[in-house]
Amino acid sequence: MLRNSVTLAAACAFFLAPSIGIARAPEDAKHWAFRPPIDSGVPTVKDATWAKSSIDRFILARLDSAGLQPAKPADPRTLIRRMCYDITGLPPTADEVAAFENAAAADADSAVNALIESLLASPRYGERWGRHWLDVARYSDTKGYVYSREERRFPHSEAYRQWVIRAFNEDLRYDRFLQLQIAADQLVAHDSPDLAAMGFITIGRRFIGVTHDIIDDRIDVVTRGAMGLTVQCARCHDHKYDPVSIEDYYALYGVFHASNDRLVPLATVADAELAKRRAKLAERMKKHREDAAARLRARVGDYLAAQLELKKYPEEGFDQILAPDDIIPASVRRWRDFLHVARESTHPIFAPWLAIAKIDHAKFATEAGPAIDALRGTGKLNPLVEAAFATTPESPADAAARYTKLFAAVAKQEAPGAAELRAFLDDPNSPVSVPDTGIANNDQFFPFNAIEELWKLQGDVERRMIELRVPSALVLVDGAPEPNPRVFKRGSPSRPGDEVPRRMPEVLGGADDAPFKQGSGRLELAKAVASAGNPLTARVMVNRIWQHHFGAGLVRTPSDFGLRAETPSHPELLDWLALRFIENGWSVKAMHRMILSSAVYRQQSAGVPRAEKDPENRMLASFPARRLDFEQLRDGMLAVTGDLDIAMTGPAGSLTDSANRRRTVYAFIDRQFLPGVLRTFDFANPDIHVAVRHETAVPQQALFFLNGTFSAERARSIVRRISDGDSEARIQRLVSTIFQRAATSAEIAAATAFLRAAEAGFAPPSPPVKSHWFYGTGEYDDATKHLKNFTALPHFTGDSWQGADQWPGGATGWAQLTAAGGHPGNSLQHACVRRWIAPADTVIDISGTLVHEPEPGDGVRAFVVSSRHGELKSARAHKSKVSLEVGSLEVKAGDTIDFIVDIGGTLNSDQFLWAPTIRANSGAWDAKAEFGGPRPAASFLAPWEQFAQVLLLSNEFAFLD
Amino acid sequence: MTPQEPIFMNRREFLLRAGMGLGALSAGALAESQIASPLAARAPHFAPKVKRVIHFFLNGGPSHVDTFDPKPMLAKHAGKPLPGEYLRTERKTGAAFPSPFRFEKYGRSGLEISELFAKTAAHADDIAVVRSMYAQVPNHEPSLMLMNCGDSVQSRPSFGAWTLYGLGSENQNLPGFVAMCPGGMPIKDSENWQAGFLPGAFQGTFVDPQNREVRKLIENIRSPHASAEVQRRQLDLLRELNAAHRSTRGDDPRFEARIQSFELAFRMQMEASDAFDISREPERIRAMYGDRVHGRQTLIARRLLERGVRVVQLWHGAGQPWDHHDNIEANIRKHSADIDGPIAALMADLKQRGMFEDTLILWGGEFGRTPTVELGDAGKSKLGRDHNHYGFSVWLAGGGVKGGTVFGATDEFGFKAVEKRSSVHDLHATMLHLLGFDHERLTYRHAGRDFRLTDVSGDVMTGILS
Repeated sequence: MLRNSVTLAAACAFFLAPSIGIARAPEDAKHWAFRPPIDSGVPTVKDATWAKSSIDRFILARLDSAGLQPAKPADPRTLIRRMCYDITGLPPTADEVAAFENAAAADADSAVNALIESLLASPRYGERWGRHWLDVARYSDTKGYVYSREERRFPHSEAYRQWVIRAFNEDLRYDRFLQLQIAADQLVAHDSPDLAAMGFITIGRRFIGVTHDIIDDRIDVVTRGAMGLTVQCARCHDHKYDPVSIEDYYALYGVFHASNDRLVPLATVADAELAKRRAKLAERMKKHREDAAARLRARVGDYLAAQLELKKYPEEGFDQILAPDDIIPASVRRWRDFLHVARESTHPIFAPWLAIAKIDHAKFATEAGPAIDALRGTGKLNPLVEAAFATTPESPADAAARYTKLFAAVAKQEAPGAAELRAFLDDPNSPVSVPDTGIANNDQFFPFNAIEELWKLQGDVERRMIELRVPSALVLVDGAPEPNPRVFKRGSPSRPGDEVPRRMPEVLGGADDAPFKQGSGRLELAKAVASAGNPLTARVMVNRIWQHHFGAGLVRTPSDFGLRAETPSHPELLDWLALRFIENGWSVKAMHRMILSSAVYRQQSAGVPRAEKDPENRMLASFPARRLDFEQLRDGMLAVTGDLDIAMTGPAGSLTDSANRRRTVYAFIDRQFLPGVLRTFDFANPDIHVAVRHETAVPQQALFFLNGTFSAERARSIVRRISDGDSEARIQRLVSTIFQRAATSAEIAAATAFLRAAEAGFAPPSPPVKSHWFYGTGEYDDATKHLKNFTALPHFTGDSWQGADQWPGGATGWAQLTAAGGHPGNSLQHACVRRWIAPADTVIDISGTLVHEPEPGDGVRAFVVSSRHGELKSARAHKSKVSLEVGSLEVKAGDTIDFIVDIGGTLNSDQFLWAPTIRANSGAWDAKAEFGGPRPAASFLAPWEQFAQVLLLSNEFAFLD
Repeated sequence: MTPQEPIFMNRREFLLRAGMGLGALSAGALAESQIASPLAARAPHFAPKVKRVIHFFLNGGPSHVDTFDPKPMLAKHAGKPLPGEYLRTERKTGAAFPSPFRFEKYGRSGLEISELFAKTAAHADDIAVVRSMYAQVPNHEPSLMLMNCGDSVQSRPSFGAWTLYGLGSENQNLPGFVAMCPGGMPIKDSENWQAGFLPGAFQGTFVDPQNREVRKLIENIRSPHASAEVQRRQLDLLRELNAAHRSTRGDDPRFEARIQSFELAFRMQMEASDAFDISREPERIRAMYGDRVHGRQTLIARRLLERGVRVVQLWHGAGQPWDHHDNIEANIRKHSADIDGPIAALMADLKQRGMFEDTLILWGGEFGRTPTVELGDAGKSKLGRDHNHYGFSVWLAGGGVKGGTVFGATDEFGFKAVEKRSSVHDLHATMLHLLGFDHERLTYRHAGRDFRLTDVSGDVMTGILS
């Protein structure tokens, strides 16, 4: 049992071990994972009666050889709980447990088989196993850090998540599942819902648009995700341990570089507004592309000259141009690539330039003439070009200038050769064009203002699509044909090295003389990855399946099958499973059936002592107990308390919203602002492909359950449902609903004692004290010196009154009142108003200090206004304190005194502190001390609720035998 | 998690490997459950000089030529272009722009510091200024990532997360790494203090010190629905149920670890409230730091460090306040005034508490600024400075740091680091060294590679070590 809990400790100590370098050797390619799986036959075992399946024989053979015995079968209750959480992520109900116990008593095997079938047929299955895949796919609903001009949410993430869940539920063949995720654009019709699959590639972090990093992330998710091959390690140099070369990396880089992102709707939506926004975006994009292209065409010579000092131009990602007339570094690179290809033959237009560019500066005077002469009269040059180079250029600059002149004149010329030059200018793939790829891929061609405008328009489209919840896919499509990628030496794009064809890594059969042939090569990549001949793909997936059933894979580094991965605990079993997987048509459900019906899966875990020979239980002499992950905990609590909403569609809810009772897999995942609760519970980091989640026990997890509203709400809810019967019967029903078993007599005694003490210590909610304070918004009328209107703030969080559950939120935006102060609403119409209503006729003194601290903005305005006397005090505070005092004011019962704060001029850093006190002879009213919500006393958990909460927090709930 | 060694270790083995020896055991400092806790205190590779770090992050990029790197040559060229070719920065810049601030020599060391940090300068003999820092690009986002996580673009663990991974925390009732920023988050948000591929427990906890109410500072720190008395009773019942659960299931340390996590949480509620409540400080101390937000967050930071929090990062404010493209004279004066007093107060306070000797203070931003004036549209001067990643200053103080030192230099105008050029990896290597780590051996296996904070380079700047 020690394995999981000391994993982290071990890793923490791990840095003390010297790192061991393994020299690359030709035999690396003979590493087990790079060779095809071998069918070594099912082993013979001493006692064949234990084995229920072939899997069991592999397990038993190893136990036999170690002289160990398998554990006894788990009891039916344990087994059904294990299977339900494992397959669906949810617990069974007490009734389901009872029914299974009965069925198992009659015939255990058929009861198990029937349960397997019913669980695999449940839509809850895809929600559980889809989430495992979303860990692999670094799923997020947001792009990560973006500039403010860009919409930060993905319009397409929801469709991808739904597609994954459906694929698991429908048992889509795993090879097809992978192929669609890599190249659906080339496998299905242009309007197929399967296009959503490509989210696998395109929901990665956007890295503020830096192409190299976006591609790196894509290479990683494909190679580690599908094949357990850490190709990413070869970005800067050959892989230190595995036979993956830097050429292998850039061969794949080229595949993704030649693919562009395209956002496509998966349903037609008749929305005039969306159509309008799209049209506007298209129109402006066209205009900016044309403008930029016109500038490029007019300066051909400048771009040629730039080739002689490439180092001057910043690399991709840091190459924003400032003014429209700046040389566009992206175009300089396009020219570089174009000329790189053009040099292969005598290019009719650019051969003279290429000849000149080759000449060493010092030898220009002597070598330029002969070089140009050699081209003349060969019949290979465009006649106009030949004419332009009738004389030898004096310098490279002169040669470059001749091209500018040549192209400037060509528009109106009819001379022979003019058409060829015009064709060059008009070719959408020529370096004087701007690729028609959308702003995510072509922003570097535009000046700052154009980028801002286009991103804003793109954002308008994306926001509308999100608003209308248009199912959409962000697909890759092959772009213009590109030259072969070049290796970036040390990973630096400014140091391009040798060319490498697009192909598979060599260790997986790729070869320079057998490159991908179609377009970007992405479809060929998809097929080579999802192929029965790929030694890694099937093994990696069956290992992932095994991992989620047993808590650890046969290989415990599920995304690294390289040389440094440990040897599988059962190598023959891994191969055998991989071969059966392929044989069974890559059916994931078939693998589940094989594993779940095995005797090894059905073993007991509780109370089995760990064998000294196998302290980590790698041999599986018992079932490894599991701790529920965050999804199982949250969904499980919702399920047992009867609160789970099983809707499979609808907008993604927030995990911090207590009204959100849908399964956790449907929660909105914001990688930039990942809710603390997810981080605390070791949720898969949505920035990186996660093969195994961490498993830590930190107090913040306990705080979430102790103090957060979630578990309190669950406790209240289940107690509401189980509210009748005598005390013992209620305890029984709570235990049975939460744990699906009967309470022991010791538990009943402990619970009874707890409830007795809790009742004694529990003050029944006192009738709410009538408060004289009210919280709302309104507009202050400068002319009449009165408040124009008062609208109560609708939402109380426990700490503050505000417009909605989320702050800022609702119509009043930032408006908020807390015990000590608050924040005005977004406009002068929504000043925040703390209102006091006089309980009786009396004379009052008002005191208090308004504090405004932040430097930015222009501060706030404050008013003290009486319904009877009008404005009593006013002030403006900006980084200052103002005392607001009123003495001896006469009020009648029902009069209001309003403490009003508005934004002054602008909405910027307007939070303030101001909690006035009102004193009269009859008493005092302190805004801070008396601040509160609608039912202050009732928010405390009652004794039964406290008890139910303890059951939900228990280890029995959190661990699975 | 993918350790190369067998994963199973018993407690004795763990302690030995973590370099703690068995002495720690006899002190009874480590319960079984704490070993399973990622934040349990661990010893580093060798005897450390410091136990904790506080980082004043002047986000936006503080101008070095106006603060800690005087350049009299700028006055000689005032208003004239600098000789030679300009290095490419984010925007266009023009003539040499001498600092409008007076530099003076302070302390016995005669360290030159501008009037902007006159109060901090009282501690000049404790400060080592590195004047030869350089980053990679003149943009905030990648430079913030580089300074915090050692990599411009990829999601990598932050310095604070690495430190927690290496050392754990000395107080289990508080987060081990706290990032404070008044009024909201800096650019790049929580990526600045991310755990990356390390466990989430190592991530920095964000606190907005503009909130004065403790319950708003830390998530779920107070219960809205149960008193401490009720919770105690609940936890007692929970312990009883958990004991029964464990009795039939053998000895899985995860059970105890989870039980402990509830006890820790219970104590954390009290301790965290106390740590963040500066009203418990004597008036004299509060007056030293001042009652503005930067004073308050610096004082909170001291309270946290005192309680065993390992790393505290104090950001200047939301966005990038130190990004002085325009009118730098007025703006930098204002922003320096915000923190000069609190920094000086902290240094004095740490000294009087005997904490200065084992605390590391780092002052700096993500890069520096140009010695030339930034030009706006139509080439008009904006009286500000553009980003400059070619050369900038940071300073360190505290345990193991040789005070009164200047390390490295920029060119005569302050554009580019030229002497003892120091990368961010060098800085991180030095900081880890002071914490007792060989930065090349503080590694974590992820995605088939042993990653480290300093990636593939970095040399300890021995010249600033005492």
